[in-house]
Amino acid sequence: MGGLEKKKYQRGSATNYITRNKARKKLQLSLPDFRRLCILKGIYPHEPRHKKKVNKGSTAARTFYLLKDIKFLLHEPIVNKFREYKIFVRKLRKAYGKSEWGTAERLKDNKPTYKLDHIVKERYPTFVDALRDLDDALSMCFLFSTFPRTGKCHVQTIQLCRRLAVEFLNYVIASRSLRKVFLSIKGIYYQAEVLGQPITWITPYAFAHDHPTDVDYRVMATFTEFYTTLLGFVNFRLYHSLNLHYPPKIDGQAEVEVKPAEGKEYAMDSESYLEKLSALSASLARVVAPTQEDDVEMDEFPVEGETAEQMDARRKEQEALEKHKKLFEGLRFFLNREVPREPLAFVIRCFGGQVSWDKSLCIGATYDVSDPSITHQIVDRPRVEQQVVGRYYLQPQWVFDSVNAKLCLPVADYFPGVLLPPHLSPFVTEQEGDYIPPEKLKLLAMQRGEDPGEETEEEEEEEEEEEEDDNDKDEEEEEEDESEKEEEIKLKKMEEQKAQSNKALPVKVTAGKVRLEDKQRLEQEQQSEEKRLAIMMMKKREKYLYKKIMFGKKRKIREANKLAAKRKAHDTALKEEKKKTKKARRA
Amino acid sequence: MRGTGRGVYVGVNGRGRYAACKGGGAERHVALCVAGRLVGWGGGSVCTGWAVRTVRVLQPRGGAFPAFPIPETGSAYAVLPVRPSPHALPTAMAAVAESLSFLGLTPSARDPATAVRRRNRGPRNRKKGWKRWAGPEARLGREIGDFLEDVTLQQRVAGGLIAEQPDAGLFFVDTGNAEKGRKRKNKIREKPLHIDLVLQPDSKVPPPKDILSHQIPNGKKERRRRQFWERLAQRGVLPRAERRLQTRLQNAAAPPRGPPREKAPEKGRVDPGRSFYDIWADDNPLERALVGQDSWFLQQTQKQRVKRPPRLQQKPSQLPAVEVIAPGGSYNPTFEDHQALLLKAHEVEVMKKRAEDKVERQLRFPTAAEAPTAETVFREQCEGLLEESEGEEEEEEEQKEEAVGGAQPSDPPRPPLRPGKKTEQQRRKEKEARAQELRRRQEKAWRCRQQQLFRLRSLGRQLRRWEQELLRRRRAREAKRREMEGRPRRLGRIKYEDPALEVQLSDELAESLRTLKPEGSVLHDRFKSLQKRSLIEPRERAKFKRKYRLKYVEKRAFREVTL
Repeated sequence: MGGLEKKKYQRGSATNYITRNKARKKLQLSLPDFRRLCILKGIYPHEPRHKKKVNKGSTAARTFYLLKDIKFLLHEPIVNKFREYKIFVRKLRKAYGKSEWGTAERLKDNKPTYKLDHIVKERYPTFVDALRDLDDALSMCFLFSTFPRTGKCHVQTIQLCRRLAVEFLNYVIASRSLRKVFLSIKGIYYQAEVLGQPITWITPYAFAHDHPTDVDYRVMATFTEFYTTLLGFVNFRLYHSLNLHYPPKIDGQAEVEVKPAEGKEYAMDSESYLEKLSALSASLARVVAPTQEDDVEMDEFPVEGETAEQMDARRKEQEALEKHKKLFEGLRFFLNREVPREPLAFVIRCFGGQVSWDKSLCIGATYDVSDPSITHQIVDRPRVEQQVVGRYYLQPQWVFDSVNAKLCLPVADYFPGVLLPPHLSPFVTEQEGDYIPPEKLKLLAMQRGEDPGEETEEEEEEEEEEEEDDNDKDEEEEEEDESEKEEEIKLKKMEEQKAQSNKALPVKVTAGKVRLEDKQRLEQEQQSEEKRLAIMMMKKREKYLYKKIMFGKKRKIREANKLAAKRKAHDTALKEEKKKTKKARRA
Repeated sequence: MRGTGRGVYVGVNGRGRYAACKGGGAERHVALCVAGRLVGWGGGSVCTGWAVRTVRVLQPRGGAFPAFPIPETGSAYAVLPVRPSPHALPTAMAAVAESLSFLGLTPSARDPATAVRRRNRGPRNRKKGWKRWAGPEARLGREIGDFLEDVTLQQRVAGGLIAEQPDAGLFFVDTGNAEKGRKRKNKIREKPLHIDLVLQPDSKVPPPKDILSHQIPNGKKERRRRQFWERLAQRGVLPRAERRLQTRLQNAAAPPRGPPREKAPEKGRVDPGRSFYDIWADDNPLERALVGQDSWFLQQTQKQRVKRPPRLQQKPSQLPAVEVIAPGGSYNPTFEDHQALLLKAHEVEVMKKRAEDKVERQLRFPTAAEAPTAETVFREQCEGLLEESEGEEEEEEEQKEEAVGGAQPSDPPRPPLRPGKKTEQQRRKEKEARAQELRRRQEKAWRCRQQQLFRLRSLGRQLRRWEQELLRRRRAREAKRREMEGRPRRLGRIKYEDPALEVQLSDELAESLRTLKPEGSVLHDRFKSLQKRSLIEPRERAKFKRKYRLKYVEKRAFREVTL
């Protein structure tokens, strides 16, 4: 025998992990600095699989990092900057304490700073990687840009966030890449498709802030610090992909320079540029002026292994997308002052519409209320005092619903003072068998190009039609259920007949009848037969699973039916109430 | 107890609860009663720690004495003579003290005057030593201090020296009992609120008029600075901030002529005007310095950055960064979606309620039926004791029986029990038995193996079954792991908890976008999302810890207000 004694916790997972405090000591950083470094470098705590082993026998809950991650952190140049900053603070404090103002000024001028550019490059080696992680960056920047400048975080951070957010919005407008909008009670969700990547972000409503106390602002500010750097580089790249100037330049800059007095009462010169950009009403200047040749259709190269059908579908999709992008083209909107200006202006401009507002509301108004060419005026008051002929007065939801439905919805439902149809979430995709609310059904029908009931007809009739539709649907489902049963019965009969025919030997010949072969029906029968046989041939376990799945589906359908019935009851109750009120009013 | 002091009576009645004082003879001999705490004896006069409690006019005639409660036993009632001469005040007090001194109101009371004067020559480097010191200077100092204190006391209480007060300010003529009953009732009705009494100034010395000068921190400094700037402004010099603002305005008014100034150097990563470049291009400024250099050189001089391990490119969680709220969270949802969301929120609440109820049920005080009675308590205390004792008793009895039995000679002699000693025969037999057993087992194993040849098929089936079982377990494990991957990790002391669902009740839903009241906070949502994706560990805000416990003291001024 021999060899070294094996000691506990000196090999295996215990050596792969390091506790947070030890890591902090290894890096010679304070806890806030360590936390900041980890966030910036994208190194996150790790949960070991065997905590007791890693924790050297103790079961206390601790934060662990992978040792290799921490070793990687040791090479980071920013760590030195953190230490320098600490020293700077100490020196400054000393200078203040001794009332050495000159020293303090000198120190402040040489304040150590650092940049995160290299970390962005390191964490996102390719542009697509950065795009994939843009959700967080955008949400954070939009959030911070709405903060009041009251010392919750640095004013500079807020300004930078605002600048980057506005730049991104302008890019989305220029590239027309917005796809979905959802007004929720929490904030507004947007989804854009940038270079084939779906990017979702949330923006808070303006002035909706109560500062929650259970949020660590320092951590959030650190995340934002990194994300602003990332978003800046992404913006640069995105602008260049569209041949736009970066930093963005407003198109027709010369015009603005000719009359600099405009907007002077609104903001100072240094700020008015950003304000004009954030007004979102002007388009951006391009490095190379767009020519007509750009509009020439691209050659299509068939992807290998793609059938004609798929190609066709793809082309159709492409066309739909193009149509969607030009949804508001040629329409001129005017926003009243009570509607949220920024989201509406952004959405309208994203789909090619022109938009303006009252001059006193914001900088960058392009035309007046009295402009006769206005087609839609967005109003959010129950009544409009003076209506101009020749334009629709609509509630703001029309814009968002139209975008989500990919078509300009009929305006009648959205007149001011009218009870609005529900605002559906575009982020929900119903699967087969799910309950689909009647509003959505109507919308889907409209998208297919059908006209679900005349708009001029009475509402009640419409509803009745809907009900009938529902009934039809229910019946269909039932039929599906029953069809299987019927087949089984038929099969039984046939088997019996066979048995009988075998028994009954005396054969009789009768005159044949011409039967019309229903090919479809035959095919269907064939298919169902095959399916039945396949089920029969299943192994016991698989059959069990199959049955379970089918049961689940049926249950889903049942639930959907239940929901539909509930809805119907709700609707009828509403209708009756309405009638009663009408009668009461008449009486 | 009764004492006399210059024709003034001091009395405490026998029960020790009430005390009454009585004037000497004529109507004018009315006493000023001063009640409070007697702290100690000083050199010659009644010492510090006196506070005025009540000033009452006492009736000269005998009979019913007005009664007033004593706050604590051991209180002293000093009675001052009427109209003492101003310079005689300390001596008067001293006289009172003398009169009180032999009363022995406190158990430890000792007359300092009569006591043998010891020479205290201890060290006077501490406060105690100074107090003990009784030299002539000290005595004089104390006397003066006491006198001054007494003067301030009189000023506080009476608004000036009592000796200088006119008679009308000190006394009034009591015209008898007749109206008292009626007045009492009125008094009760007009009784002021306790808070008013507390807030009333109890000193008759008026507050200083220029309060502001005391209350503004650094008031003097600020004033001086203001005056300084005013002087400068008269000469046409403005503070820096204002100067800058004005130059900015002027610059804005007149665009700068000549060559444009160089841009100020950027102030790091948060400068709102910072510039960006194409970081993903081949010739980005980040790596331009390193292009074309020898890699060995770069490595050795640590100019090349350490490569990021590919493991770090994976995110700890596959959850999406922005989770879109359920369709019921729309500002104008469909009926069903809203109901579904409400149901979800309701379920969360029900779970919470259930947990709460469980705790409450466990901590509830037991009902009368369940409550322990004296009997059950006794039984519980005796748990285990009784049975043990019974068993012991039995054993003892058995032992006794055995002892009795052993004594009987008629029992047959038992074979002597001698462990460890076996005969040769026994050993041999055991050995044989062992060998036989071994043989038997071997034979059986061999036979079994033989039989297994015929059981090949069933064995194969068993094997297959076992393998399938293993496969199933592996799959289950993997499924579990996959399921756990979606969940937030446990990264510290505190577990991740889902934020409360944002829900608006049916009557809270907005009619239109204008009237929408946003629910929840995006900041909170983002923060929780980061926690959910295990990017940061959930933690509590650091609690403020006090090094020492706070001590609560009731101020005397507050305590002494009685109604």
